[in-house]
Amino acid sequence: MSEPFEPKIIAFVCTYCTYAGADLAGTSRLKYAPNVRIVRLPCTGRISPMFILKALQKGADGVLVSGCHPGDCHFTHGNYHARRRWMVFRSLLDFLGISPERVKFSWISAAEGGKFADLINSVTEDIRKLGPFDQYKELIKETETPATL
Amino acid sequence: MITQEKYRTRVKELLANNSVKMVIGYKQGSTADRRRPLFVRSFEEADELVLDSNCIGNLAGYLVTEGLLSDEKRVGIFLRPEGIRSINILAAESQLNTEQIIIFGFDTSGREVKALQGEQAGDFSGLIDSLKEKPPEKSSDALLYRIDQMNTEERFAFWKDEFSRCIKCYACRQACPMCYCRRCIVDSNQPQWINTSSHTLGNFEWNIVRAFHLAGRCVGCGNCDRACPVNIPLRFINARMAQEVFESFDHYAGTSQTQEPVLASFNKDDSETFIL
Ligand code: SF4
Ligand code: SF4
Repeated sequence: MSEPFEPKIIAFVCTYCTYAGADLAGTSRLKYAPNVRIVRLPCTGRISPMFILKALQKGADGVLVSGCHPGDCHFTHGNYHARRRWMVFRSLLDFLGISPERVKFSWISAAEGGKFADLINSVTEDIRKLGPFDQYKELIKETETPATL
Repeated sequence: MITQEKYRTRVKELLANNSVKMVIGYKQGSTADRRRPLFVRSFEEADELVLDSNCIGNLAGYLVTEGLLSDEKRVGIFLRPEGIRSINILAAESQLNTEQIIIFGFDTSGREVKALQGEQAGDFSGLIDSLKEKPPEKSSDALLYRIDQMNTEERFAFWKDEFSRCIKCYACRQACPMCYCRRCIVDSNQPQWINTSSHTLGNFEWNIVRAFHLAGRCVGCGNCDRACPVNIPLRFINARMAQEVFESFDHYAGTSQTQEPVLASFNKDDSETFIL
């Protein structure tokens, strides 16, 4: 039997809500899948679509972006701006053949340690089912092979 | 022809009384059906002006040439409705002052050229509003229809194939009136977001980024698509973005010079069905 595929997932989270929620999950000793690497940012408004592309460029199989619920943003409306951007960015990825299933978005507050743990588990499961992002990895591999004439 | 003559006369009039320092229009190009930009500063040059159904390029981008408008003198320009929308966007993004721009508006149907009423960007708002009422065309193109029918893997393969031909010449960017950044993200190297070699990966990233930066700003003039030396169907990508902002946020780029840029504004009730 081969080992189950362990996806690499990068999570971009805002420090005020989702990161605090992740912290709560930890201090509450909740167990969740170890596949997610968290990158903490000041606000969802700071999470540029470039970060998502960079994660894929570095070989991620999936990306999670998460921040404060609408109305809860520390900077009052960073997440509203982010929401619009994601809407458009998702449709762009979809049109170009990068499954929106690989790039997920969520709102998780500082009080939702349980939701954080559950979400990480479900996202990991979903991406495990999709399998490695081979099509993208082929492109990455091509950049690593020396040029031929 | 009648419109061409009428506009030639008007250009001379404006030059004669110093109302404009230059008029940007079209002249005969390298082949019978090609037109190239003409920068008119004298009567002789005004006689070279051509206006017919082959005048398809959007000239609006020349207005943001560094220093052109900084002396606050007026400049005239030949524009189709898409071009007028570009002017509105550039004004909304504080790149120019529409009072400095005298518009020679025209549109074509078949080989017919007709003049559009008005000279200032604001004069055309009725026309642009009526264009908004006609929703962006959906899948009228056979190839676009095919792309829409594909599943994700097939789409990826399709675009991979297309982007593998991209040579990163950035002609699409140079030709686009909305791409005026002095320093494009693709030129910055600390951090370097996009692979600069012309491997398919970097080409993919480049085209994703450009399309994203044009979401809600592209007017569908087709300059990029025509400029691409390897014929990547860029129009589909930008049109899809236009369709998305139209359907999700009722945004039609370039309706007025006070229009809020769609991705720099928000509505508390924006849809968020995709957010977990
Ligand atoms: S992206 Fe292409 S079609 Fe859209 S405004 Fe720029 S040049 Fe015109
Ligand atoms: S014009 Fe075409 S080949 Fe040149 S950078 Fe743009 S997409 Fe690539």
